[in-house]
Amino acid sequence: MKDNYDINNYTYDMDRCIGCKGCVWVDHVYMPGVRYGVKCPSNAYKLFDGYAPMGREKIGKALLEGRIDYTPEYLDVMYMCQLCGACDAGCKRNLDLEPLSVLESLRVKAVKDGKGPMPAHKKVAQNIAEKGNRYGAAEKRSGWITKDTKISDKADMVYFPGCSASYVEKGIAQATGKILNKAGINFMTLGDKDTCCGHPVATSGMLDEAKAIARKNIDILKATGATTLVTSCAECYNTWKVIYPKMLSKNFADMGYQVIHLVEVVSKLVNEGKFTFSKPMNIRAAYHDPCRMARQGEPWVEWEGTRGQWGILTPKKEYRRGTFGVYQQPRDILNKIQGLDLVEMPRMKENAFCCGAGGGVMDAYPDFAMWAATERLTEVQSVAAEAVISACPYCKKVFNEASKANNMNIKAYDITEIILACM
Amino acid sequence: MTIPQAAYKVLEAIVGPDYISQDPIDCEAHTPGPNGFETDLGVATILKSPGCVIFPSTTEEVQKIVKTCNRYKVPFIPISTQWWSGRGAAKVEDALMIDLKRMDQCDIDDKHMFAVVGSGLIYSQLQEEAMKRGLYTTIPGGGSQVGVVANHILYGSSPLNYRTCIANRRILGVEWVLPDGEILRLGSCALDKDDYLWGEGIGPDLRGMIRGFSPGWMGSMGIVTKMSVKLVPFQPDKPMPVGISPDTAVELPLKRINWYNFILPSKDALVKAMYEIANAEIGAGLTKVPLFWRAIAKANNKEEFWELWDQESEETVAAMNVLRVLLIGFTSEKQLEYEERVLQDIIVKDLGGKQTRTKPTDESWVKNADSASMWMMCGGYTSLEFDFEAISHAVAKGVDCSKLKKGYTPPLMKAYGDQGWFQVGDYGHLALFEFLTYQDPDDEQKHKVDEWSVALSKMNIENRYYTAQLASHKPLFLTGPAYGPDYHKWMIRFKEEFDPDALSNPPGPADTDLFIQEAEWMQKVKDWPAPKIEANKNPKFE
Ligand SMILES: Cc1cc2nc3c(=O)[nH]c(=O)nc-3n(C[C@H](O)[C@H](O)[C@H](O)COP(=O)(O)OP(=O)(O)OC[C@H]3O[C@@H](n4cnc5c(N)ncnc54)[C@H](O)[C@@H]3O)c2cc1C
Ligand code: SF4
Ligand code: SF4
Repeated sequence: MKDNYDINNYTYDMDRCIGCKGCVWVDHVYMPGVRYGVKCPSNAYKLFDGYAPMGREKIGKALLEGRIDYTPEYLDVMYMCQLCGACDAGCKRNLDLEPLSVLESLRVKAVKDGKGPMPAHKKVAQNIAEKGNRYGAAEKRSGWITKDTKISDKADMVYFPGCSASYVEKGIAQATGKILNKAGINFMTLGDKDTCCGHPVATSGMLDEAKAIARKNIDILKATGATTLVTSCAECYNTWKVIYPKMLSKNFADMGYQVIHLVEVVSKLVNEGKFTFSKPMNIRAAYHDPCRMARQGEPWVEWEGTRGQWGILTPKKEYRRGTFGVYQQPRDILNKIQGLDLVEMPRMKENAFCCGAGGGVMDAYPDFAMWAATERLTEVQSVAAEAVISACPYCKKVFNEASKANNMNIKAYDITEIILACM
Repeated sequence: MTIPQAAYKVLEAIVGPDYISQDPIDCEAHTPGPNGFETDLGVATILKSPGCVIFPSTTEEVQKIVKTCNRYKVPFIPISTQWWSGRGAAKVEDALMIDLKRMDQCDIDDKHMFAVVGSGLIYSQLQEEAMKRGLYTTIPGGGSQVGVVANHILYGSSPLNYRTCIANRRILGVEWVLPDGEILRLGSCALDKDDYLWGEGIGPDLRGMIRGFSPGWMGSMGIVTKMSVKLVPFQPDKPMPVGISPDTAVELPLKRINWYNFILPSKDALVKAMYEIANAEIGAGLTKVPLFWRAIAKANNKEEFWELWDQESEETVAAMNVLRVLLIGFTSEKQLEYEERVLQDIIVKDLGGKQTRTKPTDESWVKNADSASMWMMCGGYTSLEFDFEAISHAVAKGVDCSKLKKGYTPPLMKAYGDQGWFQVGDYGHLALFEFLTYQDPDDEQKHKVDEWSVALSKMNIENRYYTAQLASHKPLFLTGPAYGPDYHKWMIRFKEEFDPDALSNPPGPADTDLFIQEAEWMQKVKDWPAPKIEANKNPKFE
């Protein structure tokens, strides 16, 4: 069985990088001008090529060839990256190489070689192992549940709130529950078996630990009899839809469950006229595409085969190029809200600039995460928006922190809160 | 491998600690990878990792850096985006790589229609800023991701040069840090350093010297830090981006801009069409498309490309004389309507051409140019032959290149006699011919691609073809005596005068000569006299 996180499976992708920087620049068709031309947060923050996919690929190759060794700089290079996938969609626009898999696999290798992850990641992993949540919180995970939220004992849909909405951004979980209730959709939770999806463990490269979490969570879900898992968090969404099958070398289609984000549920109902908004919201807002659900939102497709002359693959590979991510659904919802003036930022959809929090960056390099969030907020300001709306609790948190720290006076919302406020 | 530490300290003081590194990890990342433009060819054997990387942000910083290099005898190489990776790399140990990406100035003078640009600015950025103001520039085949300054120095060819001439003739004022660190200003800024209006006129016009003998010095004659480039008037409706990756394009305002595709009954008819269109002075872009590009456009992936390409034959390729024409109603919608009628008259009525379908969008040339997709087919791509000459020249040369290519296929990709790409420039007075080289970098015989490069030079000399690929890409001591003649002597003399210590990207302009001298597999084709090339010295001629 192919190990999708074995760097040796990506030597071709490292080797065939041509240095075009399609992974760094915004798609030239959408190039907004001098400002906001770069989509890779890591390379926008640090100019050295090592902080861009093409540089990381060369460095990774040099490591495999024994020309360089692990150093603190090496680890910074590998971990100062949000794994946001902007590079992956950019590279696949022309070349179909796999830079994101390379970046992930180099982290896995660092862990296997006893050099990674960074201390902050180890602490998060320990919290998850000991308390089942990334914060190490001792409280029950169900603390977000309000009395007026109707949760069924048995349903075909499980709501999986994730750590952030369970402990920190509880309003998001509460809004999700109420929206599902209003839509008349029965749902249950995993109850006292609800736990972290393992996203931080997987992205830090701790593959064995992440696989163990995946297997346990999948078993728990199966035991409920439910077939659909709904999330309000882009990271959980991606973990169940992409990372689990990728780790287990299976097609997502064979995993035996469906994963949807709340915006997919609501947009379908909105477009069918079955969900309407009765309250206006007078606000000019920009929508921020959360990486893990937008350009990285396509389900995992397993491929195993060989490469021949000219690099031809047998059998053909079905690429995840970021084309069919969750882009339009949140926009459809927001466009239906009276008074809400939805504007696009220069970097949007597959070219969106990450909020900065992902890929373990918020844990290990908080200054970098805050810098990236601030950079994104200047983009919100550039389109004269007063608020930014996302569909992931981590985006909301880092944006609000950055706005406060820089007196930017921009409010960050999660889309669930907007839906709740307007329904 | 590092630069002298005393020099490092000075350099660090110039740019600050965040913008310089000699860490081996950072230097490795700035070393061209094994499969960029030319780096899968033999020339890669002479490329080295830099000993240090630095990011200046102003001309003053560049000047101080270059002066420091002169003081400590540190060789240096400027890069804009390093897309031309085989040339944007040091050929000597312990060199300083000067990455100009922070210098992304773009000041547009709408009234006089020019932009003052820094070396870090790329084409898609300039095009967007220009189009916001009703102006445009021409995106080169190198792609929208290439440096505007670097491309204007090198050559700057695009199908849109049909109306505008090639980019290196659209250079206006220039600010140039010479190899010894002195600043030379050309055009109007020679008189007033902030006046970038003119290219010629009062003040020295040494633009020919920056460009070198085509296509340029490749960083071996100092660093151009700033330049004003001509912009040309567009029409008022801005093409808007549409689609999601990988299918993104700009939607054309069809009453003002449109692409037209025609298949002509013969190559002669195609050439005639080109001349006639140019005679009628209509159009904004005119190009003959190599057939494999059509297959790239149709295929969803590499495998599908090969399924399509394998169905071709010498006959199908010979029959496919595809002409693509871009019309722009610069002054009015009526202009477009008029040009459309003239186009139909020339191609369909007079020459028996057939119009085929085109998308109402532009994927390449107006805002974007997909040069990276050239690697999609084979995994290896280089351009080893291009010319700026007449249309008839391009036609004849295409035939000869195609014949010659057969002897090198494989490792070159089977092309079924395809006779290259040519674009019409300067209203038919020029054709930009390019014969593209696609190869599998894993092919055991890949050294034959290097031999093919030299064989092309020899073919040019023998058949008296004017070629743009001379210095830097081809052996200087093979081509120099044949062209100019003796242009190599001129280049070396200039180099000695301006850079006696050979600090600016040595051993340019003789880096290909160094590779051929060192590569054992090239000895069988090296049958011309050449002096011994030393990597850190200026080449000498006997
Ligand atoms: C696939 C491909 C297709 C191409 N097709 C075309 C084409 O159709 N038309 C066309 O015009 N060009 C074409 N090119 C070449 C293209 O012009 C160059 O790659 C580009 O213009 C150089 O810009 P860059 O940012 O890539 O420069 P870099 O790669 O950074 O540098 C290229 C060379 O210029 C030197 N240099 C860079 N900046 C400066 C500076 N400021 N001052 C002095 N020297 C400098 C460097 O030392 C190096 O030797 C093609 C290139 C590629 C890779
Ligand atoms: S994943 Fe994101 S941050 Fe990391 S290299 Fe790619 S674009 Fe940059
Ligand atoms: S887009 Fe792909 S091929 Fe181009 S530089 Fe980035 S990783 Fe390399």
